[in-house]
Amino acid sequence: MTLPDQSAVAAHLAAFESELAQAKSARDAQSVRDRYLGRKNSVVASWMQLIASAPADQKKNIGRYANELKQAVEARWAQHQESAKFLDVPAGAVDVTLPGRVPLLGHRHPLTVVRDELEEIFTRMGFTVVEGPEAEDEWHCFDALNMPAEHPARDMQDTLYLATPLKGESGESGRPDDLRTLLRTHTSSMQIRYMQAHEPPIRIVAPGRVYRRDNLDLTHSPAFSQIEALVVGEGISLADLKGTLLAFARQMFSPKARVRFRPSFFPYTEPSAEIDLSCWQCDGAGCAMCKKTGWIEMGGCGMVHPAVFEAVGYDPERYTGFAWGIGIERVAILRYQVEDIRLFYENDLRFLEQFPY
Amino acid sequence: MRLVLSWLREFVDVSAPAEEIAEKVGLRGFEVASIEKLDDGDAVIDFEITANRPDCLSVLGLAREVATVYDKPITLPSSDPRAKIALKPVTIGSSDRVKVTIDDAELCPRYAAAVADVKIGPAPAWMTARLHAAGVRPISTIVDITNYVNVEIGQPMHAFDLAKLAGPEIRVRRAKPGETIRTLDGIDRKLEADMLVIADRDRAQAIAGVMGGAASEVSASTKLVVYESAYFKPASVRRTSKRLGLKTEASSRFERGADIGAQVVALQRAIALMEQIGAGTAIGPVIDCYPQPRSPKTLHLRRDRLTRLLGVSVPDAEVVRILTRLGLRVTSTPDGWDAVAPTFRVDLLREVDLIEEVGRHYGFDRLEATFPVVTTAAPPPDPRILRDRLVRRVLTAAGLSEAVTFGFIEAKAAEPFATAGHASIAVANPLSAKFDTLRPSLLPGLVDAVAHNRRHGRSDVRLFEIGTRFAADGETRGVAVAWTGNGSGDHWSGGSREVDFFDVKGVVEQLCGVLRVPVDFQPASESYLMPGQTASLVVAGGPARGEPAGLVGQLQPAIADARGLPSKDRVYVGELNLDVLSRARVAASDATRPLPRHPSVVRDLSIVVPDTLPAAIIRGTIQSAARVLAAPLVSISFFDRYQGKGVPSGSVSVSVRLTFQADDRTLTDAEVQQSFDTILAALVRDHGAVQR
Repeated sequence: MTLPDQSAVAAHLAAFESELAQAKSARDAQSVRDRYLGRKNSVVASWMQLIASAPADQKKNIGRYANELKQAVEARWAQHQESAKFLDVPAGAVDVTLPGRVPLLGHRHPLTVVRDELEEIFTRMGFTVVEGPEAEDEWHCFDALNMPAEHPARDMQDTLYLATPLKGESGESGRPDDLRTLLRTHTSSMQIRYMQAHEPPIRIVAPGRVYRRDNLDLTHSPAFSQIEALVVGEGISLADLKGTLLAFARQMFSPKARVRFRPSFFPYTEPSAEIDLSCWQCDGAGCAMCKKTGWIEMGGCGMVHPAVFEAVGYDPERYTGFAWGIGIERVAILRYQVEDIRLFYENDLRFLEQFPY
Repeated sequence: MRLVLSWLREFVDVSAPAEEIAEKVGLRGFEVASIEKLDDGDAVIDFEITANRPDCLSVLGLAREVATVYDKPITLPSSDPRAKIALKPVTIGSSDRVKVTIDDAELCPRYAAAVADVKIGPAPAWMTARLHAAGVRPISTIVDITNYVNVEIGQPMHAFDLAKLAGPEIRVRRAKPGETIRTLDGIDRKLEADMLVIADRDRAQAIAGVMGGAASEVSASTKLVVYESAYFKPASVRRTSKRLGLKTEASSRFERGADIGAQVVALQRAIALMEQIGAGTAIGPVIDCYPQPRSPKTLHLRRDRLTRLLGVSVPDAEVVRILTRLGLRVTSTPDGWDAVAPTFRVDLLREVDLIEEVGRHYGFDRLEATFPVVTTAAPPPDPRILRDRLVRRVLTAAGLSEAVTFGFIEAKAAEPFATAGHASIAVANPLSAKFDTLRPSLLPGLVDAVAHNRRHGRSDVRLFEIGTRFAADGETRGVAVAWTGNGSGDHWSGGSREVDFFDVKGVVEQLCGVLRVPVDFQPASESYLMPGQTASLVVAGGPARGEPAGLVGQLQPAIADARGLPSKDRVYVGELNLDVLSRARVAASDATRPLPRHPSVVRDLSIVVPDTLPAAIIRGTIQSAARVLAAPLVSISFFDRYQGKGVPSGSVSVSVRLTFQADDRTLTDAEVQQSFDTILAALVRDHGAVQR
């Protein structure tokens, strides 16, 4: 037998590769490997055996070539084993790493996501969700809410009026001349409609779109959505209002939320207050979201003004109640950290697809 | 209202820093817009004053709030010679220099005036500095004094140059037809008959409560002035100010309600200031025309009501302290208190207004948080809410995302969708032409949303919206869908295709199915949809049978193009009237049907028929033939439609899968074959069908 040399190493390695490539199964491949690397009768083993009988000056070289071949074949084998994982597959196998056919799934609008959550929370608290018309008459939108004809809120500057009136829903007001002349500026008009049709106790929330004569910019929109709450009964107090808002804030924003009332003025409530919630991001310590104040302005609230009860024929001596309204966009802006209110109305799918199904 | 701290401290001895005062008063209902430090150590707190508190548009008004917060006495202006805030003692009477007549006591219940001999020049630095800090531009001694009094006690004043008044007399009357006036700002204004003016013998010299006239303006050469200190009816000032588009310091105070008790006091204060700065002296008595003096209103506050409304028991002493500090005269009664509402508190009209005052200063932060007791079960929600949630679930599950667009749009976007009998409604006072028309349909908004997405590189857009549409006969709730681009999902395995009519129709069918509304699709024409690619939906049974429920079709390319969509885009749309669908829902039994106990038999039928024959007709023919069959037909499904080689032109090969099944037995081949033949015979007879 000729002694191993460099060309023998290369020739065996090439032969190994070609035999391995022709192997049809893992078992074939293993036997190819064993023919080169096996403990007995393999190429490498036979070379090692030669060392004992070789001339003294050749022993070292043979050992070196045997080792060289062994390492090269082992490296190639390891490579083969790695790729065999993917290559040694049953006939007709699929590439499971290719993308699947994802069924089309749309997304709810973020304002709906917020609204649904608000409705769920209040439903759990025993509130009934109701809706009302967006085109309103002056009486429901203003007069009945203690805003007589000369009230500044009725300014043409704030309210959008219709060039020609719309007919109201048939039979809803019981008046044949039920004509809607404006777009409601608040969901509070729903308080009136509900009270006209129902007797206390009342516990409702009324979500919906409202309209103002405003320009569309980063923080303002001429149309937006509100959710209004109304609770009427015997012995309903301002403390109840605070407790209800607190329960809401703790479910919606943070279990640690606190409520602060800042006295304010609305014609249809007395006492009236602005609702501040402790900032749920910094827990009141002050951060960018709450502009370092520790508080987030949420909306307006108050005890239903006796004049409102009188307008719907309730006895203000017997019944008391509270109401509040908060902006749904406002909640969405804070929750989703949206800097431009216009994103809600552009309906850019890159935006909408960031919200859940 | 810019409150100058040093000015406030003349009324209340409060040493707290501006920040603390701002925070505490802020929590009593006066939002703080800013705090400004001045060079001389003074500070200005800018409070936002709510519409119900015109009294707080003055240092004195805010001082009462501060005094209540800090529980300190207030120093009122007084004619005591040692008083810090001095009033000139005066006598009331008539003047031989000017005669005052009120023609319209309804719009002007009180008019006080005083004549003074004056020296016009610059006011002293302390006065101009204060006015500056309060945001008022100093002009000259006399004008500055009137402004100073206005800021200090909240009574707007005016000064006429007496020499320029014809008569000399002052007449408070309504404007005459065609009357005009050049106001202090140099603008000629046309007056209307219900506007109140201050006139001399010949003509209007001021618009009452709004602005003085240029003709009688105080100038450097003025020697004699008449100070005006009046009360004008708020609604009248508001109307006039709005009508003229002229809003002034004076008008914004009068329109919210001035203090009808302050007119003479304001003159006394003005005269005192005039003497103090050496700008003149009063001549003769003060004129006070007040034909029907009003007496302050006494309100009763029940302890029990206070506790019930606030939900907290406020100690009696605290109630009395708060109301007294605010300037009310309080006396105890067996069940609570009587409180005299001062004339400056125009907002205190009934018991609940007192409750608010007590609650506000007791502190809303001291209220407990309780939960209202539930006494009845909540009634079910508005059915529209549950319906809309269901619609939303179906459409998102069908791969469409929800859009929200505005209820008003631009006229030219609405115009193609405002169909006959449904003219769109215009907004009477739009702020922008982009929002000047109420949407007659949800489609224009949705089409614009599709265009927005196409402009931003999205080729596949699937959107829907649930919302209100407006027409003269009322508002209706609708749902609309818009679909462009891929009809199927995009996948590496290929096979994607462009959306077509049947994608949108399928979504609509799915939705109607879930809502349990039987509908027929009929070929229709609608100006905004492509002819031959349009169907109308008609309720096919149930309570609203025959009512039109909506439309499905391809949007006219010209409309898509006008809204900025690429011209080759095909946009398929649909819009349904949800109010109709609600009415049309068929009540379904909750009971389930038992599963069939006998096997079904499936037979495929391929026929060649004229290609104009609608599938609905074929289905109808099969259904009526099936009524007499031995083997009950339980389902008909169209599974192929072929035109081309082997099918004569003008014809189409239609393949229908028929499923037969009986409840009570296993069908025999003979029964099925006989039924199949009967159906085929009907199709041959009615439509000349040829079996393939």
